[in-house]
Amino acid sequence: MRTRAAVSAVLASGGILIAGWQSGVHIADTSSSVASGAAGTTGATGAKALGTDGSSGTGTTGAAGTTGASAKAVGTYAGPVVQTRFGSVQVQISVRAGKITDVTALQLTDAERKSVQISNRAAPLLRDEVLQAQSADVQTISGATVTSDAYLNSLQAALDAANL
Amino acid sequence: MQPTSELDGSALKARTFGSMGTVISLTVPARALGTAVVPGTAGDGERELDAAAAAVERVFARADETFSLYRPDSEASRLARGELSLRDSSAGMRDRYADALSWRLMTEGAFSPERTDGVLDLSGIIKGYAIGQAGEALRSRGIADWCVNAGGDVLVMGSPVPGSGASWAAGVVDPLDRSALLSAYALGGPCTRRALATSGSAERGDHIWTAGSCGAEFAQVSVAAADIVTADVLATAIVAGGTAMLHRATEGWDIDVLAVRRTGELLATPGFRA
Repeated sequence: MRTRAAVSAVLASGGILIAGWQSGVHIADTSSSVASGAAGTTGATGAKALGTDGSSGTGTTGAAGTTGASAKAVGTYAGPVVQTRFGSVQVQISVRAGKITDVTALQLTDAERKSVQISNRAAPLLRDEVLQAQSADVQTISGATVTSDAYLNSLQAALDAANL
Repeated sequence: MQPTSELDGSALKARTFGSMGTVISLTVPARALGTAVVPGTAGDGERELDAAAAAVERVFARADETFSLYRPDSEASRLARGELSLRDSSAGMRDRYADALSWRLMTEGAFSPERTDGVLDLSGIIKGYAIGQAGEALRSRGIADWCVNAGGDVLVMGSPVPGSGASWAAGVVDPLDRSALLSAYALGGPCTRRALATSGSAERGDHIWTAGSCGAEFAQVSVAAADIVTADVLATAIVAGGTAMLHRATEGWDIDVLAVRRTGELLATPGFRA
């Protein structure tokens, strides 16, 4: 019984090791592809590792390594103008150490009513900046619910009486 | 035959009745009532309006009979007293309950169909639902231009001047001076938004519970939307949920909002800007 348990434990840990190794390889693959994609050179990962290793002591190699990588891997990139069902949209990304740190919209269209939603936030407004109206100009009136009693003194009642 | 003057063409006819603790007004252009502008047959138009108003009144009366918590014999009151379970309630009751729960989910709890004492209270969506049904009743009678106002919540169709394409002009009451208008909004006509609802933190009807303990941020919130239930529920939710709910609402729904802070300051989406 004990040996069987030991064997299965060894098998299990072996399995974990293999899984770990596989996922490690996978992560390494993606990071290098991101780095090479951003920096455009295959040596970017190595330069970055060198920079972090010797960051405290030898400033020169580290600095050289980072400047080499930062020239491409750090910065902001504007994408092409893409047509969506809301209209044309252009996106800008900020990249730091090969990772996207921020995504902002450079261009959003108001061409279609629906797309206005994106910029349809309620903003502070002065009283004379809202659409103005006198009760003589309107056909109906919206207000917080009035009781039947309060209706008597309401603007809506005056409109209704005029149209009876 | 005399040519019809512009004044005749734009004349409006109104009928009012009381229901749900408030007053409901139906306004229809005289010209939309068939032969009303032809001299001598004006009586037909009046009768048509009376019949239309009666149909609208029936819709509200039926909704009130089922859902009013002010009527001890209503289905809602029997549910509240525990004499009836939701499982045994009518399909209409369960449908509105399902609607209300879905609104609670969508507004992240700012709108709720339950009172703080746990009693089911669907009044927050029933008025809007009844207004919408009243609109269907008017359409089915072949009336294409109308305005229904139930206690300050408005739904329109068509135009106040039939065939002109003009919008209905709805005023928004100034919460600081209820005898004056704060703003206006164009409903119907070429606009996709046909509904305008306004909720206030001091209004009758206890379906608004504010999230914070310090009271409501907004004295009044008006929401314009394509349908009246959305406008009504979101106006209620924004009064209850404050600025955070206001921004969620304008991001998640195709609406215009005019909100009045307790201090009198205004927040508005571009649709309310002059």
